Amino acid sequence: MAADGARFGGVPRVIVRAGALLSCASTVIFLITEALPGDAAVVRSGGRATAEQLDRLRAEAGLDRPLAERYVSWLAGTLSGDPGHSLLTGRPVAELIGQRMPVTLTLAAAALALAVPLMAILAWAAVGGPRPLRPVITGLVVGGAALPQVALAALLVALLSAAWKLVPPVSLLPAGEPPWSRPALLVLPVLTLALPAAAYGAALLRGAVADAVSRPFVRDAGLRGVSAAAVALRYVFPVVAPAAVRLLAVVAGGLVAGTTVVETLFGLAGLGELLVSSVGGRDLPVVQAVTLLAAAVVAAGLITADAVALAVDPRGGAAR
Amino acid sequence: MFSPLSRRIAVAVTAAATLVGCSSGGGTDPGAASPAASSGSADTVRYAAPGSPSNAASDPHGLLPGESDLVRMALTYDVLTLPGPGGETLPRLATSWEPDETLTRWKITIRGGVKFSDGRAVKAADALFSLRRMGEKAAENFGRMEMFDLAASKVLDDTAFELVTRKPYAEVGKALEGATFVVPEGSTDFTGPVPGSGPFRPAGGDAQAAKFERNDGWWGPKPPSRYIEVRAIPDPQTRGEALLSGQVDLAAAVPAALVKQHADDPAVKVVRRTGATLYPLVMRTDTKPFDDRRVREAVRLTLDREQLLQVAFLGFGEVGNDLLTPKDPASPTGLPQRTRDVERARKLMAEAGYAGGVDLTLHSTTAYPGMDSAATLIAQQLGEIGIRAKVELAPADTYFSTVWGKEPFYLGYLGGIPFLDVVRVALKPGSPTNETAWEDKAWNADLEKALAEPDEAERRTRLGELQTRLRDEGGYAVWALSDRLDLAGPGLTGLPEGIGFSAGFIDQVALGR
Repeated sequence: MAADGARFGGVPRVIVRAGALLSCASTVIFLITEALPGDAAVVRSGGRATAEQLDRLRAEAGLDRPLAERYVSWLAGTLSGDPGHSLLTGRPVAELIGQRMPVTLTLAAAALALAVPLMAILAWAAVGGPRPLRPVITGLVVGGAALPQVALAALLVALLSAAWKLVPPVSLLPAGEPPWSRPALLVLPVLTLALPAAAYGAALLRGAVADAVSRPFVRDAGLRGVSAAAVALRYVFPVVAPAAVRLLAVVAGGLVAGTTVVETLFGLAGLGELLVSSVGGRDLPVVQAVTLLAAAVVAAGLITADAVALAVDPRGGAAR
Repeated sequence: MFSPLSRRIAVAVTAAATLVGCSSGGGTDPGAASPAASSGSADTVRYAAPGSPSNAASDPHGLLPGESDLVRMALTYDVLTLPGPGGETLPRLATSWEPDETLTRWKITIRGGVKFSDGRAVKAADALFSLRRMGEKAAENFGRMEMFDLAASKVLDDTAFELVTRKPYAEVGKALEGATFVVPEGSTDFTGPVPGSGPFRPAGGDAQAAKFERNDGWWGPKPPSRYIEVRAIPDPQTRGEALLSGQVDLAAAVPAALVKQHADDPAVKVVRRTGATLYPLVMRTDTKPFDDRRVREAVRLTLDREQLLQVAFLGFGEVGNDLLTPKDPASPTGLPQRTRDVERARKLMAEAGYAGGVDLTLHSTTAYPGMDSAATLIAQQLGEIGIRAKVELAPADTYFSTVWGKEPFYLGYLGGIPFLDVVRVALKPGSPTNETAWEDKAWNADLEKALAEPDEAERRTRLGELQTRLRDEGGYAVWALSDRLDLAGPGLTGLPEGIGFSAGFIDQVALGR
């Protein structure tokens, strides 16, 4: 990346970085999914077919072609917007993803909307909150970041659903209605996604905030009697913004990854559940398309982060 | 197919819920937790069935990986025949199946006046076309049509066709059970439903839930419910929770632990069907030490079946008698229950030359509930006769590719299928799926003779004898059968009674009042 930085400046550099990230990701995704033991032919035959029958199924699905050839045709298809067909059902991958997108987008958007302010509040409170509370908040943040989603989900179900009966423990969306039509069904999935993400983000952001508040002009502003909120907004935010946006990209990527657990657990048919069952069914075109999509989300986030960094500090904050 | 991950999550949830004390408070009000969640109406039955929304099958003649797939097909399409609750064959679209005296040419008559959803009449040509399609897709339906010479079969008229078998075969009605979904002749695109003549018609829905509307022109008994919604949910615990929170009206195949918790709950009805699932212990008869019949017998004599039933199935089931298909109508009756005799087992091991014991690996998987704990307990029990078995667990997705049909010693899975289906998928000489390497020539010759026997009672007797021989000499130990456990709303009626294919035919369900 350093070489890119020397040759390109500003916007082109951002694009080159994103492109490099995506092409690396695509190769890694392809190779890893190909290396999974077993294949869709075995799955389609229920594990009880003869070697000849398996060979025929593989030939029908094009699985008998050399790896390099399959990679090239997959890449060409993906770039032209046609990620192919499911090896198990024959349905177009784009259609499968399109059906699942609303659920996952709704979940991720709601989780982000909750996680971002929470993250900012926690990070600020851990640094600039009442002194006796700071270690408590730091502890909560670090503990929350380390808590596995499965455990958190179990805890939330136990409290909100089993004990207090506020929301149902599973979230079957009514057929043919948009995912946001029953907000009660989204409470547990969104909390399970958002809380660890907020804690994780706050844990990382805390350092940047601490760094920013210790700068002379921030302390100066405090001494001049500017209110804490105004200090945060006017002086700390611009310093922290590039790091925060980059962090947000990573957190968004983490949210997408988190949907695999959360959707499977709460019975939601989104992209995460699609990914989990497609890995199980060795439905490689689907697996590859969904993972690449997730990589693209992270890449888009990083581009945004770089763009923000550029806007704040045009001399080259993005290269750091 | 469901992932072990989701199962672990479910276990964690249950554990946490129990900790908080949710299960201590007696009855659960199914609606309490979800005032806004229920979209149920008196006209719609919502069914949570095993399956995955991702690989939901759309081809009725390929692999139907989950029960939700079977249910959707059974609502949309008519089948030729159906297994009845007692394992007998019932007519469905086919009204009769009559052989010639050689038992190789069968006249299959189908109902007249039946129409596909696009208005075309259902003809014998459509039925034969559908069977041929199944023949072409043999690799994906366990070779279900392999006893038939479909090329030599022919249409006789609009409502009759001649089905030719490769050898004399008296069980044609049975061979046509359950999966013979009839589609219009010439259908090629199966990425979505094609016109069907079944009791319901697809009425939209999405990846989560498929909706069906009653076909008022169906020939059979009028389905009491106007709509059925089928949801594919891979995780058993999630299916159960969906019912308990009022989001569905019927949850198929739920965990035994959940049923135990709600056994006395007036808001839920537990539906038990016996003999639905078994995890036979597979011993390859061509691999040491199981190539010695005495070792296989010693294993069967050592298993503590009652203890295994309690641990693996939480007592929801019955002990096995080493018969693979005890619910098949041709299953031998009056056999004494195999009981534990460790003394005799030790003697047999010594006679076979294993007085000093033997080291083995017992394979199992986390894919099926209780199969891992069953393996651990079996290994422990077999330690008493010197078999030192190390348990190795494969995840769901590699179990069928690396363990099933390959390893010499593992726990297999059978889901309530009839004897002749087991023969086809697991006992065929020379087949790679012959998991116990059962190559007994005399047995196979007698099987052929039995299938050529026109007298039903005599045929059943002979098929029963074959099952007895397999029980005593073969490579299987069937230690227990588990019940199929469903949860339903208290008023739900019209559930199918049988196991296997018949469990997928839910067209008569109704919410009741």
